[in-house]
Amino acid sequence: MSDAKQNSPENAPAPESLENKESQDQAKVGVYICYCGGNISDHVDVEKVRSRMENVPGVAVARTNMFMCSDPGQELIMDDLRSGAVNRVVVASCAPSLHETTFRSAIARAGGNPYQYEHANIREQVSWVHHGDAATDKATRLVCAATGKARLMQPLEPLRVDALRRGLVIGGGVAGMRSALDMADRGIETVLIEKSPYLGGGVSRLGKLAPYGEDAETVVRDLAARTLSHPRITVYCGASLSSYGGYVGKFSIELSTTAAEDEAPSPGQYVPGKGVGGPMLPQNIALETGVVVLATGFSSYTPHTGEYGFGENQEVITLPDLLQKLSEMKDEKGGQLHLDGRRIRSLAIIHCVGSRQIPGVHEEDENGHLNEYCSRVCCSASINAANTIRESFPDTSVYELYRDIRTYGRGQEEMYAQASANRVVFMRFNVEEPPVVRRIAGEYPLEIEVKDELTFGEELQVPVDLVVLATGMEPAPIHDLVDMLKLPVGADRFLLEVHPKLRPVELPMAGVFLAGTCQAPMDVGEVSNAASSAAVKAVSLLGKGFVELDPFVAEVDLQKCTGAGACVDACLNDGALKLVEMEVGGETVTRAEVTPALCLGCGACVAVCPENAINVNGWTLRQYESMVDMIISDVAFEDSGEAKEEPAVEEETAA
Amino acid sequence: MATVNSEFIKELEQSGTDTGAECFNCGTCAAICPLVSDHFPRKMIRYIQIGAEDLILKHAQELWRCLHCGLCTQTCPRGANPGEVLMTLKRRVVAEWRRS
Repeated sequence: MSDAKQNSPENAPAPESLENKESQDQAKVGVYICYCGGNISDHVDVEKVRSRMENVPGVAVARTNMFMCSDPGQELIMDDLRSGAVNRVVVASCAPSLHETTFRSAIARAGGNPYQYEHANIREQVSWVHHGDAATDKATRLVCAATGKARLMQPLEPLRVDALRRGLVIGGGVAGMRSALDMADRGIETVLIEKSPYLGGGVSRLGKLAPYGEDAETVVRDLAARTLSHPRITVYCGASLSSYGGYVGKFSIELSTTAAEDEAPSPGQYVPGKGVGGPMLPQNIALETGVVVLATGFSSYTPHTGEYGFGENQEVITLPDLLQKLSEMKDEKGGQLHLDGRRIRSLAIIHCVGSRQIPGVHEEDENGHLNEYCSRVCCSASINAANTIRESFPDTSVYELYRDIRTYGRGQEEMYAQASANRVVFMRFNVEEPPVVRRIAGEYPLEIEVKDELTFGEELQVPVDLVVLATGMEPAPIHDLVDMLKLPVGADRFLLEVHPKLRPVELPMAGVFLAGTCQAPMDVGEVSNAASSAAVKAVSLLGKGFVELDPFVAEVDLQKCTGAGACVDACLNDGALKLVEMEVGGETVTRAEVTPALCLGCGACVAVCPENAINVNGWTLRQYESMVDMIISDVAFEDSGEAKEEPAVEEETAA
Repeated sequence: MATVNSEFIKELEQSGTDTGAECFNCGTCAAICPLVSDHFPRKMIRYIQIGAEDLILKHAQELWRCLHCGLCTQTCPRGANPGEVLMTLKRRVVAEWRRS
């Protein structure tokens, strides 16, 4: 692949030259062991591990520090590298997912090769699960194994892949528009696609936003106007992804039309409850993009028939329905609320409908799913709606029937206090004894019977004109996209980030980002923050015009490869390995070739090759053998009078 | 079984200004009350919120065990003024007794 020449066969060094280089460059391993402020040292005798490591062949220095990841800790390593005392580094500390990058970049800053580095996890794998001498011994063996590998490590160069300075945003809601604007403002050509003919997504169906009362229509109109007029943003409504391929920096995408053009409003026109019309995709097109931002949004839970009387009584509606009706009558004030020509003397909002469901208590949907998560925004939305009604129509009583109130954000607790002052009556029910909605023949059409925990288990009858179900958020139905992009999906069916704190808007596949409620329930403010952070990640990835990837990818030894093709069959990522015709030693033969940018570095090919002709850089078979040899070797335990054999792996084994 | 009556709180306002509208049922007042057990005075405020006048009259004896020491008002984290709410209730109950 022309974008990533690093591992193309003609550049692959011959095995002889590798070993020549190794003998010239005598391995001097520095071992750096972390106390982790007691996290490790409370259970592992760190100084004992250090003194044992001094016995191990190839180890030039062994040092300890209270926090290796701190600046002074990193300086220790950098000083040794600069003075030439070491040329390979092993750090024994926490999980590599936390600080491997920290130490690799410290090595690079000191002028070393960041890939001549090995990490031993003696916190999660040792001090958190063992104690006493056993912990110290296990730590010693893990660090020994790391030094065994480190001695055989070659300097590697990161893979460099050309990156198009172009982004694709999927989804035209607030998250999608926010991401597109942030990327475009920073110089990235952005294509925004939306399945429906309208921009605005879920927010277009809302009225006054909690907790500060911004008007949803104004928010959507403003964002859409800026998106549609931005010179670097191309908007295609009525468009969806029909094919997807490539890799970070150069994804190949095909878009197809999803709606007839005559259904669409004219671009820029606002349609209440739907959003702002955008330009329709005229015909199926293909394009290339450097990054993909997913902003596919959410859908609202639909109660099943009979759930709190829904579908059986026209007076039972969902909160999104109520909000839409309220937003259409925002100028009306005073007296009683009237909806669809009916006066509403009192209404009750029932919380947690389709959220926090419990197996055995709640009914599963047709696919057997339960929404066991909290939808986060429905409490605030319900209380905001209650306040709006009590303040605009003071003769309408509002009851809130809840399991727990979670008004978790800034300004939202104040909204709850305001609801109390507005005389919204709260009632708390137990999930085992939920309220019962029934039709009555009397002054009011409906009555709710609830066992209220706030009144010490008193059975209360609440006569109402309207029952509103505060339905939770569910991920949008994007099964086709999940299959096409092989997206990771969590137990809650929302898209799953790499790590909620360390990499909150990224997916394991490089160059694909998450923005907004496709990831989890969020309110509009949180959606905007998430979308901006996805945009910033995307921009910083594409900023240099190329992307550097870790070089831990498969490499074929053409001297050994016989073109058997077992590796191609085993490969998990289509296109990463293929058989090609090439010239080797003056003959045209069939050999395996790696496309480094697509290789996942999983090693499935290594396991099946009958000739041992393929290796994953940074994790070669020889390095693994050396690690195993060091684990079973007792060379580090000389001080305890145990066996003193040299490990089987030696420089001559390598040569 | 009690029927919720949202009109009661409006009637009660004629007997005094404090009706405990700010109360969100944390129970601090009940925990600190030195004289009356059994969720007093929170229970009374809750009866006001749901408009259960019959339950207030049923438990009216408890109102006269309150000495107005003011601890509930002092500790209420929401400023719902439980001590004053009890005064309002006493007036209302006395008026009710006179009427019957």
